[in-house]
Amino acid sequence: MRRIKEAMLTFPSFCWLFFFFIVPACLVYILAFKTADYTGKILPGWSLETFYSLFDSRSISLTIRTMWLSILTTGISIFIAVPLSYYMASCKKELQQKLLLSLMIPLWSSFLVRIFAWKVVLHPEGLVKTVLVFIGIIDEQTILLYNDIAIVIVMVYSYFPFAVLPLYSTASKFDFQLFEAAMDLGATKRKSFFSIYLPVIFPSILTASLMVLIPAAGAYVIPEIVGGNGAEMLGNTIVRRVFLDNNLPEASTLSLLLSVVVLIPAIVIATWKASHTSQIKGYS
Amino acid sequence: MAASIHFERVSKCFGSAMAADNVSFQVTGGSFFSILGPSGCGKTTLLRLVAGFDTPDQGRIFIDGQDVTHLPPHKRPVNTVFQNYALFPHLTVRENIAFGLRIARKDSSHIVREVDKMLELIQMEAHADKWPDQISGGQKQRVAIARALVNKPKVLLLDEPISALDLKLRQKMLLELDLIHDEVGITFLYITHDQTEAMAVSDQIAVLHRGKIEQVGRPCELYESPRSSFVAAFIGDTNFLDGTVDVSVEKDYSQLHIEDFPPVLCFNDKKLSPGELVHLSLRPEKLRISREKPADHPLHNALKGVVEDVVYQGDHTKYWVRIGGYRLGVTQQHGRFLLDTQQITWKDEVWVWWHADDSYILERYDASDEKLIEAPSEKVGENEENEESKCEE
Amino acid sequence: MSRTVRWISYSAFFFLYLPVIVLIISSFNASRFGGAWEGFSLTWYQRLFHEPTIWNALTNSLIVAVYSSVLATILGLTSALSLHKYRSYLQKIHLGIILAPLVMPEILMGISLLFLFLAISVKLSLFTVFLAHTTFCISYITLLIKTRLESLENSIVEAARDLGASSWQVFWKITLPFLTPTLVAGWLLAFTLSLDDFVITFFVVGPGATTLPVYIYSMMKFGAPPLINALSTLILLFTAIITVIYYHIAEGDRS
Repeated sequence: MRRIKEAMLTFPSFCWLFFFFIVPACLVYILAFKTADYTGKILPGWSLETFYSLFDSRSISLTIRTMWLSILTTGISIFIAVPLSYYMASCKKELQQKLLLSLMIPLWSSFLVRIFAWKVVLHPEGLVKTVLVFIGIIDEQTILLYNDIAIVIVMVYSYFPFAVLPLYSTASKFDFQLFEAAMDLGATKRKSFFSIYLPVIFPSILTASLMVLIPAAGAYVIPEIVGGNGAEMLGNTIVRRVFLDNNLPEASTLSLLLSVVVLIPAIVIATWKASHTSQIKGYS
Repeated sequence: MAASIHFERVSKCFGSAMAADNVSFQVTGGSFFSILGPSGCGKTTLLRLVAGFDTPDQGRIFIDGQDVTHLPPHKRPVNTVFQNYALFPHLTVRENIAFGLRIARKDSSHIVREVDKMLELIQMEAHADKWPDQISGGQKQRVAIARALVNKPKVLLLDEPISALDLKLRQKMLLELDLIHDEVGITFLYITHDQTEAMAVSDQIAVLHRGKIEQVGRPCELYESPRSSFVAAFIGDTNFLDGTVDVSVEKDYSQLHIEDFPPVLCFNDKKLSPGELVHLSLRPEKLRISREKPADHPLHNALKGVVEDVVYQGDHTKYWVRIGGYRLGVTQQHGRFLLDTQQITWKDEVWVWWHADDSYILERYDASDEKLIEAPSEKVGENEENEESKCEE
Repeated sequence: MSRTVRWISYSAFFFLYLPVIVLIISSFNASRFGGAWEGFSLTWYQRLFHEPTIWNALTNSLIVAVYSSVLATILGLTSALSLHKYRSYLQKIHLGIILAPLVMPEILMGISLLFLFLAISVKLSLFTVFLAHTTFCISYITLLIKTRLESLENSIVEAARDLGASSWQVFWKITLPFLTPTLVAGWLLAFTLSLDDFVITFFVVGPGATTLPVYIYSMMKFGAPPLINALSTLILLFTAIITVIYYHIAEGDRS
């Protein structure tokens, strides 16, 4: 009887996700083993042809580019998120809440709108450019928009709050008395931060990195809007294959590739965490 | 070698609460000194001031003659054992103990030697490579002590280190602390709210109440000659009777007038004058109880009453005797067990008497401290208003 | 070191709000080309109200958001309850299926849903968008409710049982009231995620069934009419209000 009740309660969400998530994902991976003709019609029979295209120089450089930009974005985001979350956790309660809210408001507002805002900010005749030229950091010729710099800036901007949330959650559970213990034993505040705080919240840093790496690797809108021509990442290449080239199998193969790029760090991190449980109790 | 601690008129406020109010006292080098007081009433603040985690608003603190008032914690010759141990979760037991030495950049063979010595002292050699969450509370406490001591501080601060352990373990750890103190010979500054703990191991105790020092002295001094009602009530058990000083009888004794009681004779070392409102403090173990009237004695006070409650504790029994408007607690030790004696029981009419030297007169205590000396309730729900402690950190 | 930390933190917040502020200011810029400032003006806001395509897109977005958020909340509730209550092998798989969408980039989810609809020959329309939105919202709500359920003390449920309540009564009288703030917060989260979604919607939207983000995107791709600035500012205002509401519900929950 209990089994039936359990099945009934699990049934709705399980089936929904199975049908609308698992099955479609399988479809994509299956389609990678097929080919299409120039009209987009899927040809019968199986083939590894699409996989061969993965090994040409364009695909390889595309993959490396995507990985490099994602890793760079992740690195910068963590660099911002770790001190920020530490700062927030060490503030008074009321201030913490206000800061959290201030972080969440831009995060919840339209993703597209915020990317568009950057387009305005980095505009060749926009305010920021004018100010920077005035100060003398850059000259009139430098274009801030439509290149890799813009992509990284906007990706960091869009995704670093996702790193802050898990780090803040861990930081607020951190026993700050450990700092006092370290100082009592002769360490300065700075030394304590590097030899006590960072090692203890390290598992959370890994989680936060994943929170940035995954959307960054699959970014489509950002490179499309602020990347300009030639600034392709895996994301917009996939879209191009689907909507412009009508080549669904190739899009599938690229999707498979993207999945792998994302899954490898995820698995590595999950395994590390599993083998270090006694050190990280409560600090994931 | 053994460093003294000197507090000179130290005050510290947190918002509107006075955590330390013009506190001055001296700790002799090498002694085991306790600061005792009810929960949250400023004693942890004093410890933090010595450790350097807070700075006083006024006054100065000296360690071994050196003014450390404005020194940051990492520069003070002091180490702390925290209440919840604060062991570093990402380091093993051995690495935890070695931490301070590594920071001080001592050379590695020295570190290994010293850490091994400590492990031997706390008997944790077998657990040296375990993680903090793999060892028990008592073991964590020992590691915390070792981690502090290995740096050879001049003063060791202990913030209620055994309060998180269960009873039997507490007793054992307390004795171990005493042994360690004897071995190592440095000054221990110990914070606790448990007076039995403090009395068991301390050379001197300072009783702290609402940021002020009530009395400093050896345990027996505090117990036998408390200078204020708070100290009398907080340390050990006592009965308080409200009275007025009547007349001086001989040169050191006064007669007290207590409502519904015959005149009571009491030793008056405080030289209080007639008419003053006082408390008479009677320790339960100093009172005698029996069914027969005791022989007359010029310095004895004897009163008649009825037994209302009997609490048997194995080695002693506590009787609650109604005399006039009071319920007096009387403790009777069981020396020999004699089969044919009839034990005193409920509703018996008894005589309670004591020697005038065994009671003392104290000034009336604050009404808000009443909960410290409350007798067990006579009715269900009687003690409900006395639940919350309003003391602030 | 505290100074460095504080400096980085303040810069981060400044960085976070800079584009938003520039955007809001630009929306009042009378200039047509979004460059130099040419005076304060509300023309773009006025123009906004006369643009029927925008209203159409907005309506579509709201319809989808309402339906998908409600369905996602219901499905999230059932899945959280079953994950919390049962500890069988089935639940282990169930949890995996719930967590998987969270580690997948949106673009993969978009493309897979597109393939599904193509494979079963379902025409792309607002309905397919609704199905897609429900799908990606379930996981968030499930985790939100599951976390909250874990803080419902077992002893309360046991006390109710001890006093004679049946499973259904326990759910109705204890669990559900306890979860209500979380359910509202979860619904609000799903609603916002749905309103804001672009990538997945882009894949499964049909002609004539444009949602607001898709419309904004097309506006962005083909130039940058200042209308977007005005529209964006309004969206920002709206979501700011929703976030504050969400936050107060979620925080009230915690106490």
